[in-house]
This record gives sequence, structure tokens and C-alpha cells, in this order.
Amino acid sequence: MTVEWDWIADHTGELTALSVSHLQAALTAVLLGLLISLPLAVLAHRVRQLRGPLLGIANVLFTIPSIAIFVLLLPVSGLTRTTTVTGLTVYTLVVLLRNTVDGLDAVPAKAREAAKAMGARPLRTLLTVELPLALPVIMAGVRIATVMSISLVSVATYIGDGGLGQLFTDGFQRNFPTPVLAGVVLTLLLALVADALLVAVEYVLTPWNRKGRRA
Amino acid sequence: MPSHLPGSPTPRRAVLGGLLAAASVPALAACSGGITSLDGGGDLSGGGSSEDGITIGTANFTENQILGHLYAAVLKDAGVKVRVRPNIGSREILFPAVRGGEIDLLPEYQGALLHHLDEKAKATEEGEMQNRIAMALPAGLQILPYGLAENSDAFAVTRETAEKYGLSTLDDLARHNGKLTIGALPEVKTRVVGVVGLKDVYGVEFKEFKSLDSSGPLVKGALRKGDVDVANLFTTDTDITAEGWVVLGDPRNLIPGQHVVPLIADRRADSRVRKALARLGAVLTTEALTELNRLVDKEKEDADDAAVAWARKAGLVG
Amino acid sequence: MGELLMDLGAWLTSGDQWSGVDGIANRLGEHLEYSLIATVIAAAIALPTGLLIGHTGRGAFLAINLSSFGRALPTVGLIVLVFLASGLSMTPVYVSLVALAVPSIVTNTYAGMRAVDPETRDAARGQGMRAHQVLLRVEIPLALPLIMTGLRLALVQVVATATIAAYVSFGGLGRYVFDGLAQRDLVQVLGGAVLVAAVALVLDLALAALQRALFVNRPA
Repeated sequence: MTVEWDWIADHTGELTALSVSHLQAALTAVLLGLLISLPLAVLAHRVRQLRGPLLGIANVLFTIPSIAIFVLLLPVSGLTRTTTVTGLTVYTLVVLLRNTVDGLDAVPAKAREAAKAMGARPLRTLLTVELPLALPVIMAGVRIATVMSISLVSVATYIGDGGLGQLFTDGFQRNFPTPVLAGVVLTLLLALVADALLVAVEYVLTPWNRKGRRA
Repeated sequence: MPSHLPGSPTPRRAVLGGLLAAASVPALAACSGGITSLDGGGDLSGGGSSEDGITIGTANFTENQILGHLYAAVLKDAGVKVRVRPNIGSREILFPAVRGGEIDLLPEYQGALLHHLDEKAKATEEGEMQNRIAMALPAGLQILPYGLAENSDAFAVTRETAEKYGLSTLDDLARHNGKLTIGALPEVKTRVVGVVGLKDVYGVEFKEFKSLDSSGPLVKGALRKGDVDVANLFTTDTDITAEGWVVLGDPRNLIPGQHVVPLIADRRADSRVRKALARLGAVLTTEALTELNRLVDKEKEDADDAAVAWARKAGLVG
Repeated sequence: MGELLMDLGAWLTSGDQWSGVDGIANRLGEHLEYSLIATVIAAAIALPTGLLIGHTGRGAFLAINLSSFGRALPTVGLIVLVFLASGLSMTPVYVSLVALAVPSIVTNTYAGMRAVDPETRDAARGQGMRAHQVLLRVEIPLALPLIMTGLRLALVQVVATATIAAYVSFGGLGRYVFDGLAQRDLVQVLGGAVLVAAVALVLDLALAALQRALFVNRPA
């Protein structure tokens, strides 16, 4: 198996376009996943009876093969980006939900009580005390979900989308390893860079942790 | 040169006659579609518009992507904004997408399209198939005149298998019922031009059906290795002659002619599009298409580059 | 939707659907075979690696980052790449599934080993235990919960992903998903998906039960 570097040099434009499309699908899914799982996680954290069912549903969804989810969405949203993003969002839920619940659980009771004693309402407590303190665990979930999402986008190539995944089906049909290898390496790179950026975001968002570590 | 199937000879005269005969059909189809058209974009004359651009979808095999890019090249030259969505999937996935509006134009094949619309279709002659397709298409869709180029289905075996079992036509397969394994696209299992028709027309029953791909690495790899005895291939696949595979004859005409034909949504079909695609259809021969397949599959040229280069050489685009 | 579920019920319970090469019984067997073989191979590679890194403390960086790398690796690309390199066989399927499973097991095994209290370890050494005795009698039993978590995670991922075997012409429950996609037969796709999910959940519960059994018997 030889790599044709010429091919890669000749296709930088296409590779860039596919990477952008790839990343766009993955990141939209993580954002949507966060929007859905944050309120659900708060609910699961506050109402104990809902926790089991919510996490259970997310777990079951995680065991369904991703390609099946994409295909089953076809009657709803057809061969569109929506199908790809919806399918990916489903997969982010289990990680985001579990980590956010875990993060909220880990908030020290004292911090909550202190906020209460100072007269903060539940919503205010949530926004100014609980979520910030849970942030490291939530961010760990966001990182896992992002990397997973970036890796999974390529499955949507089976329904004609899939960003860099198109290089896989194309190389497969033409018995041509170079585009496939390029696609795999670029996927890994995107995941790596996205992960590093999220670490930086977390660093910026949690100054108190920084100080704590240095002390 | 791909081996043509005995069952579907295509003398050039008949083809050209069919081309002319077929040219009048789309207008008819468009009329009937236009009145009940769901998108509301078409007027009573059935005229759509390519003003807002056209999205071309293609199936998951090399040749269909080349055709999609050829369509794109000639349409772009005619001043139409085009977008190609390559490698989407099977006809079963693509067809609803044209109806649903995600895709406007598909490179299709006559016989396969007809059987998709009407499982019991008997027509095998090009002009008749064209009429039957036009009648069977749902509202909102039409076909344009079919082209010279043809890519038919072939059921092929290796030379060794042909000698071992004495196979030269599909009839011979029935003498070995329950012994042979066939490899093809998953959808061929449920298609008439496939397992269903082989049983009904030739009385053939296979030991096993293996879901593979369209004349791609899986089905050809399996045939080479002996994992399947019979493989469903395309007649435009240069590997058939290169590997010395034997294409089984079709004396009972199970396999229909498979001329390339554009399937388009009424909402996008205007004279600009019709003319550009008709010109392409009249120039692109089976040989040219076969050579394009070779360039993309073997020489690893990009489907779009190969398509544009050929169209330029053929004088179709400036 | 209701109609789809009715059809699914009919599909799952029809006798025809269960027999033959393309029957559920055979496809289920193939799926279990692929998944279990891949997980066992992965465990054979990943458990010693994780234990070694955890025990010696060398290669910790690898152990921590491997799971992230594993998650990022696109299975579709990997299977095609190995297929193009090695041809039509089960090799591409097993390589992809093992590559998917190894990181989860290594990372969790390492995490389990690291979670062992250093004082406990020192105490064991103080009692005159040899290195291998410390590993077998102290570290592994204490790390077991996390090791099992890694194995369960790997198995669930492998079962869901073994669907891909059908993409390179092999069987398993993925056959229904890929064939159903090509034939636009949503009942078949849904049937395949439900069966895969069921297999994943049942195996996960089985491992959880095993884990509980192991806990009861572990040395105090």
C-alpha cells in the first residue's frame, strides 16, 4: 500500500472543504447535545426518580448502531444535513447527560447551603454556584462528546454526507488507499485540535481551579 | 471492450430511432405531472426552471458519479448553477430524494428505473421502455431523452467456474440449483433483474446470496477468491475482459437494455437543461463511458476532472 | 410510527425470519462471534498493557491519552484502509473492532491500578510480598471494579460497531441494517438495530452480574 503524495497535494482544496463540513456537523451536534442535556441533567439531578429513566434511555440510545440511526431518520429529514446532525446529537447525549449529572452531584453541599443562606434563589444558585463548580466534569463530557462526534461523522457517508467520510467510500470503491488514509489522519487531527481547544476553553472559564492548582 | 449481452443487442439504428421517438415523451409526462404537481412551481405547460440551480445526486458507484459530473459539466456550460452530491446510495434511497426535493436530477438507467417503478414490466426495447417509464413515473418527475451509452447488468463467472459447471447462459445455472453462490448489491436480492427474475424466468435457485457491491472491490474480490460463483457486474466494467470472466448469456431477455437516461424533477426541467443533456446523450457512447470508468477506477483520476476533460474534447463544453 | 412498530413485531416474530443463512438466529450467532472474539483479543492485548503501566507507572501518558485517540479513530476509515491493504477477509473487521476496544480497556485498567492506595501497596510489600504477589493479590483485586467498567464499555462499543462487518460483505446483525438501507426497508433496519441494542444490553448486564459475583469472592 503506497501513499500517493501527489494526490494529496493536488486535493488540498477538496480536503479542506471536507474537513470544514466535517467539523461543522460534529460541532453543531455537540452544541445541540448540550442544549438538550443541560436542562435534562438539572432535572435528573433535582428529581431523583427521573434520573434512572433518563440515564437509562440515553444508555440504550448509545447501543444502537449509528448507521441505523441515520437510516431511520431518512423518512423524517431525508438526505439532508439535518439527518446527519440529529443522528450525531443522539450519540452525544449519553456522555453529556451523565457527566453533567455527575458534575452537579459533586457540588459540595456547603456551597449550595451558603448560596441559600445568602438568599439566592434556586435558579441563581444553579447558574452562579452549581454549574460553575460542576464545570470541570461537564467539560470532560464535552471533550469526550466532541472527539466521539468528530469520529462518527464519517458514518453518514452511507447516506451521502459524512464530510471526510466521503473519502472512505470513494477510496473503497476505487481500491485507492490514499484518500482513505488522508481522511483518517485528518479526522484524528481535527479531533486532537478540537480537544486541545476545549482544554484551553476550560482553562479560561475556570480561573479558580487554576489558582487552586498553583497554590 | 465490454462484452455485450446476447439478450440486449443494440444496433445503432434502433438506438437513434429510440432517441427520436423518445424525445416527444417527456413533454407528455410533464403535462400530466404539471397539473397535479405538488411543488406548485410548474405551470400547466409543465415547464420548470433551472434558474435557481440544480442539485445532481449520484449513486454509490464510480460510473454514476462520472455521469453526474458529465451532467454538471454540460449544464454549467449552458449557464445553469449546479451542485453535485456524489456517492449517496442506492436507487431505493435516491429516488425518494428526488421526489422529496433534496435532489433535482439523477443519472438513471432505463431498464433498472423501469423495474423500480413497475416490477412486472415486460418491455425491453428502448423506445417502449422510455414510454413505460414516462407513464409509470409519479407526478412531479420526468425522464429526458435517453442517451447512446449503455451499461447493462451482467451475470459473470470465472473461466474455471464456467468450465467446471459447463456454464455459458443463465439457463445453465438452473442445472446446478442449490449449489452456487451469487454475489451482488443487497438490493439485487429483491429486484426482478436479480434473484427474483432469475428464479421466475430461468428457474435458478442459489445456495446463498451474498450482499456485496456494484461491480466494486467486494464483488470482484469475492469472485476472484471463489467466495461467490456468480457475480453481478456492469458491462462497462473493464475488469470483465481484463480478468477473462465469462458473462452468461440471457436467451430469455431477463436483462433489459440499460441506456443512460436523466431523471429530473418537473420543477427544474426547462429547455436549457433538456437541450444540454440531449446533446450529451447523443455524443457519449458506451465505449467513451467505459474508458471514463477506467480512467477514474484504474488511473485514479477524479470523476469531475475526467468528466470535464472528456466533455471538452468532445466539444460539448467550451 | 405505530405501523412501523407493528411491522417490526411481525418481522421479529415470523418463523421464516429466524431460519436460514439470512435468518435472525444465524445473524445473531455471527454477531456474537465477531463481538466476543474481538473483545477477547482486545482484552488479551489491553489488560496486560494496562496492568503493566499501572504497576510500573511507566507509560502513563500513553494510557491516559490512548482512550481519546481510540475515540477519535474513525472505524469506517480504518476498516476500509485495512481492507485495501489486506484484501477480502475478516481481518479488517477484527482489526477495527480491536482498535476500538483496546483504548477503553487500557485506560480503565490503568485508572483502576492508580486508584489503589499507595499505602496499601506499601503495606503488602512490608509484609514481604513479591512484586507479582502484590500485583495478583492486592492491586488487581482492588482495581477490578474499574477494569470491569473498561471491559463492559469496550464490549458495548464492539457490539454496536460490529455492524460494520456487513459493509465489507460479512454477516452479523449489520447485514439487516446495510441491506435494509440499500433496499430502503426500514423495518429490516429497525429490526437489526433493535437486535444489536438488545445484544449489547444483555451482554452488559451479564458482565455486570459477573462483576458482582467476583466482588463477593474477592479477598478481604
